[in-house]
Amino acid sequence: MTRSLSDHEIRGDPESILEVSDLDVTFDMDRGESKVLDGVSFEVHRDEMLGIVGESGSGKSMFASALLNAVVDPGRASGEVIYDDPDAGPVDVLSLSEDQLESFRWEEVAMVFQGAMSSFNPTMKIDEHFEETIQAHGEPMDDRMAHARELLSNLYLDPDRVLGSYPHELSGGMKQRALIALSLVLDPEVLVMDEPTAALDLLMQRSIMNLLDNLQEEYDLTIVFITHDLPLVAGLADRLAVMYAFEFVEYGPSEEVIRDAAHPYTRALLKSVPSVDAALEDMNPIEGESPDPVDTPAGCSYHPRCPLADEQCVAEDPDYHDVGEDRGAACFHWERSSEAVEYKLGVDPVVPDEPSRAVRGDEETVVSLEDLEVHFDQSGFIDRLFDQDATVRAVDGVDLEIAENEVVALVGESGCGKTTLGKTAIGLQEPTAGTVRYRGHDVWEAKRGEGEIDHDRIRRALQIVHQDPGSSLNPTRTVRTSLAAPLKRWRSDLNSSDRETVVHNLLERVGMKPAEDYALRFPHQLSGGEKQRVVLLRALLMSPDLILADEAVSALDVSLRVEMMELMLSLQELFDTSYLFISHDFANARYLAEESGGRIGIMYLGNVVEIGPAEEIIHDPKHPYTKVLRWATPPLDPDAAQEARETEPPIREIDIPDPTDPPSGCPFHTRCPEAREVCREREPELTASEGEASLAACFREDEDHAYWESEPIVEGSSGENAS
Amino acid sequence: MSPTDESSTDGGVQLSDDQLFGQLADSDSVELSGRERLARILDAYVLAPGRVAWNDWRTRLGILIIALFVLAGTVGPRVIEAPATNQAPTNHPPFEGGFGAITEDGGWIDLVQISVGSVSLPWLSFEFPLGADNYGSPIGRQLVHATPDMLEMVVAGAIVSVGFATIIGVTAGYKGGRTDSFLMYITDIVMTMPGLPLVIVIAAIYPPRQAWLVGVILAIDAWPGLARALRSQVLTLREESYVEASRTMGLPSRTILSRDVIPQLMPYVLINAAQAGRKVIFESVALYFLGVLPFTTANWGIMMDTAYSEAFALVDLGNFYQLLWPMSAIVIISFGFILFSQGMDRVFNPRIRARHTKKVGGGDEQPPTE
Amino acid sequence: MSEYVGRAREGVAATLGFLAGFDYYWRKIGHAFVTLISVTTITFALFRLMPGNPAQAMRAQFESQLEGSGQAADPEVLDQMVQVHTGFDPSQPIYMQYFEYVRDIVLYQDFGQSIQYGDPVFDILFRAMPWSVFISVYGLALGYSTNILLGAAMAYKEGSRFDGTMTVVATFLNSIPYYVGALLFLAFFAHDLGWFPSGGRYDTSIEAGLNPAFMASIVHHGALPIMSSFIVGFGGGALAMRGNSVRILGADYLRVARLRGIGSVRIATRYVARNAILPLYTQMMIGIAAVFSSSVVLEYIFTYPGVGWYTFDAINMRDYPLLMGSFLFFTIVTLIGILLAEFTYGIVDPRAGSGGENESY
Ligand code: SF4
Ligand code: SF4
Repeated sequence: MTRSLSDHEIRGDPESILEVSDLDVTFDMDRGESKVLDGVSFEVHRDEMLGIVGESGSGKSMFASALLNAVVDPGRASGEVIYDDPDAGPVDVLSLSEDQLESFRWEEVAMVFQGAMSSFNPTMKIDEHFEETIQAHGEPMDDRMAHARELLSNLYLDPDRVLGSYPHELSGGMKQRALIALSLVLDPEVLVMDEPTAALDLLMQRSIMNLLDNLQEEYDLTIVFITHDLPLVAGLADRLAVMYAFEFVEYGPSEEVIRDAAHPYTRALLKSVPSVDAALEDMNPIEGESPDPVDTPAGCSYHPRCPLADEQCVAEDPDYHDVGEDRGAACFHWERSSEAVEYKLGVDPVVPDEPSRAVRGDEETVVSLEDLEVHFDQSGFIDRLFDQDATVRAVDGVDLEIAENEVVALVGESGCGKTTLGKTAIGLQEPTAGTVRYRGHDVWEAKRGEGEIDHDRIRRALQIVHQDPGSSLNPTRTVRTSLAAPLKRWRSDLNSSDRETVVHNLLERVGMKPAEDYALRFPHQLSGGEKQRVVLLRALLMSPDLILADEAVSALDVSLRVEMMELMLSLQELFDTSYLFISHDFANARYLAEESGGRIGIMYLGNVVEIGPAEEIIHDPKHPYTKVLRWATPPLDPDAAQEARETEPPIREIDIPDPTDPPSGCPFHTRCPEAREVCREREPELTASEGEASLAACFREDEDHAYWESEPIVEGSSGENAS
Repeated sequence: MSPTDESSTDGGVQLSDDQLFGQLADSDSVELSGRERLARILDAYVLAPGRVAWNDWRTRLGILIIALFVLAGTVGPRVIEAPATNQAPTNHPPFEGGFGAITEDGGWIDLVQISVGSVSLPWLSFEFPLGADNYGSPIGRQLVHATPDMLEMVVAGAIVSVGFATIIGVTAGYKGGRTDSFLMYITDIVMTMPGLPLVIVIAAIYPPRQAWLVGVILAIDAWPGLARALRSQVLTLREESYVEASRTMGLPSRTILSRDVIPQLMPYVLINAAQAGRKVIFESVALYFLGVLPFTTANWGIMMDTAYSEAFALVDLGNFYQLLWPMSAIVIISFGFILFSQGMDRVFNPRIRARHTKKVGGGDEQPPTE
Repeated sequence: MSEYVGRAREGVAATLGFLAGFDYYWRKIGHAFVTLISVTTITFALFRLMPGNPAQAMRAQFESQLEGSGQAADPEVLDQMVQVHTGFDPSQPIYMQYFEYVRDIVLYQDFGQSIQYGDPVFDILFRAMPWSVFISVYGLALGYSTNILLGAAMAYKEGSRFDGTMTVVATFLNSIPYYVGALLFLAFFAHDLGWFPSGGRYDTSIEAGLNPAFMASIVHHGALPIMSSFIVGFGGGALAMRGNSVRILGADYLRVARLRGIGSVRIATRYVARNAILPLYTQMMIGIAAVFSSSVVLEYIFTYPGVGWYTFDAINMRDYPLLMGSFLFFTIVTLIGILLAEFTYGIVDPRAGSGGENESY
């Protein structure tokens, strides 16, 4: 499947810095040859930011590695990757010798990997990493180290502190930024970034993206940004290229691609991505599965899933069709795609008039939390000796009620205590203060046998679905035995063939057919989405009243998330349960909560700072922190994205303060753009403002508060920030 | 096949649990015959691991070696005459007569006829093939007759040390907190005590007279390493989502431990059982060789001691074979144990095992696309 | 002002952090001390508390000795003799005896008196100790260096013939007990070929002192024992090192380092070796105990009068004070070795002592 571009496009184009033609990457496997890049031809323009979007397994990482001729063994890359060296003229990267490659990489093209956590040698300080790199390339040490310091401070890091630290002493976001600085220390022309932000919080991702934007201008960089997260790059990239089944199916200027995608896959992808601005009815999953690299479908590789597919698509492999200026789509029927797959970008924020179910309050409360505190003592012996308090206040005084059949979504950055709060709510974590009640009965009293309700009943009623589908199933047990366990424990009236039948029926219900086959599989024989469905079923088989869904969709591919959330909601009705959904991703929380008329709660450093009906929180956030999170959730609509790109981040500090030493007063005052002196001293309570159903913990909600007379906190004057 | 496709079961009407499960259990129920079930269990737990083990020549060799010694320890003493002094000439050399002995009369091996009923068959007869020691006691017979006691020691030692380690390690890891600190403190203390001298002191004061007791005494210092390894495993496993899910489902600790935790530990446990077996052999032989343990049980170490201090096998290299045979037995059986334990690692890997189960669900091999 | 306060706070925090950093070392030292006390208690218990204990046996021994020489066995005289050798008085209550026993050991290094040599146990063992340490340390160091080099080489050539062969060879070597090795060395290198002496610590005909001939003779005599304890140190370490190195060769940071153009020597030493060795440390701590343990057998085989040899001698001669003393000596030497290993671990692994310690909650 080779696509041909006209010669003019491949060679000698002054605009392009990297030209890829006929690039194949293959792996030999027991099952046959696996083609993970299939005749790809593409070019990267000078000084652009190119976003490459694809689902996991689409071959996008291979493309990144091939640009540096760094495909891991035993993979083999063939074809041409021409790098147009501004000083020395074009070279073919794939035919460079080892020595030449050594100087080519990092001096011309540098790369940032997905796992910043593991990209540093754990036994070396950060500065050694910089020094050895400079030394290996024979560059002047002092100049380059000065450059490194400049880069680090451009990335809002304290150079002295970061350089003198071991990797484990830095947070994920700091490591990621240090890694970016490390990749830029030799002033490369091109920076290839492979999912550089995937493991980070949304806010951190977004902040890094903004910093990248600045860096690109400042250092005349060409950036190739590879991600599965379409909305993340949509607003920032100059051009977008969409990868499906080991080749590019569409490319073009970012805005045009987003506004009116030509390829049916791109359109379906745009439609399936949960976002904060699109209408809920418009979000739909893509049916079917991504192809296997060992036997990709003949003809157009998308034909098994494409609504427009005809005989021609099955028989022939489509070439790029000119869709517009510098735009192409590998589809015969691209003109008709807009009718076949419709999508809308961005809708006007409509705040519904009717009060949502959450505030109607006619349902019984299932779980209630009162003044809940969970503290972890981390001080060692010597700490205690010197009276140094090292307590992490994971949850610091939270009240929350969850009603029957309600969906409550908790959103916050990692380390804000949302998971701890969730686990406390379902009785897995004992609170240090406050109470957890299940239908009015104290859970921990019951556990100690002091309550009037049997603890077993509570245990059964409160269930969990974890984030990582990989570790939520016992690897040594089949799907069947995993699912039969809850039935065995709680439904002794069912005999083993009843159990078998229940399991089979449910598997079919969630689309895992044939159930007989799936029932006998081990977890490693399932895809991530399938595993997560089994986990959800296992929790539901307990017929619980509340399920804690801890980042339940975050580990899935973007296009599968809507599908999973739909499944959760449809099974909610069947099994009659409530969800406490925890997410760092505003878009997911919004989908689940808004679709079910539920609530969203925002957490910051152990406190709930704002909570209310999903629509209100999304479209009319009140707390400055909610606004920050909202800003960090990129909109798909290019106009909105442009706007968001131009606004400065509404935050003063990128990094979260040390949780063992939380700020006094309002916990957010160290980062809040609206903070005033009074915020340092006094802590705001959750209050409702007039005519609104949501509550926010900010003095700005009270029009007569002393806040309005107080002096604004000026940058640099706060002692805590500096350290 | 949209997963969200709702069938007629709910139209907004809430079903009670009983109705719901009744419905789910009702429709075209799946019948599994007892035999099919058994076959499935057999395949998953016996045949598949067997195939995995047999597929690797190292594991195969290990199993064969261990089987050979078990055979020698169980059947051996029944078919081979018990050794006694002066059954053979003193310091009788091994393989007397070399290869020629097969055809010639005399020497270590001869072709003879034996009669089974009325038919007579050719058979081989051995005459002290491995030689005899200083007292004219045939070495081959001694080796075989020492095997049952050796095995008894190994099994007792392995069971005690591994059992102890499992109890301590799993309890510490699963309970955590103070129990954990306390148990680990003890473990560390035992770990840092020099084991052999401790065993020697104990054995010198209370000489063990039974083979199994020797094994148990040797197990005293064999458990801390495994206990620590198991504890850290359990600590990791305890945090695994599926263990937490089981806890959330209200499964009793016993069930969680036996289903979710212990199976993951089996590779460690088995590997260490084999290692403990090797250690028991090493140390018991050393102690018998030193003469620290009473000569109440048969042991290859006693043979070495006799060869070393009675036949002066080191100085008089003509007698070196008297040392060599028991030493070879030790080396071969430990080699078998190590190979076996390495192979177990593969057997317990569900990925490898699934490939050898008959009913494989789907492609389990993902190409490295990312 | 606030800047000043901030700086002061930072200073205090740094000091605290510094001390907290030492928390790790203090804990280890405390731990070693507790172990020592525990072992002393065990020794005492074995020695004294259990029925049919050595103290009673010793008493009976003296009794028959006295009777043999025609003297009447006066219980007081017997008590006194037992006290001379063990350091405690059988007529006192047990806790007092325990207290005095521990006090004598800790304060006066008084381990009792050897029955057969008549010298204080401490003096005998203290003179023998350097020789045992010499053999063990060299054996361990050689064993671990081989492990590291061989394991790393196997990992670099993962999947090759060399790797496959060496894996089998290492496994096979692992199944040879050190004393079998020792006997083989002795038979061939000492008795058959005559290259090395078959026993002793040095040639007694050479004048002892810091002269080259004497040193050479020490090395000459020590070579075979060291070779044998090398087998102990070798253990299964090479395979473990291989596994660790293979894992690290696949680590992300290694890939990044290669892309950054870091030289292969630096990658091998600073990246692979450094990180792959860390897990071997724990193993080495067990190895230290094992190597000292093995010296009982090795020193017997090589008639090399170190602590191990005296242990064996004490068992044969039923010299209980010497036996108990040597057991304590072994413990102390092992503890010192482990402490050294743990202290250096704190330097080698920056993560030691931070995190990982608060696993339990
Ligand atoms: S070529 Fe055919 S199958 Fe492929 S995307 Fe276009 S219409 Fe669909
Ligand atoms: S109380 Fe002050 S610091 Fe806190 S969120 Fe409101 S304005 Fe910001």
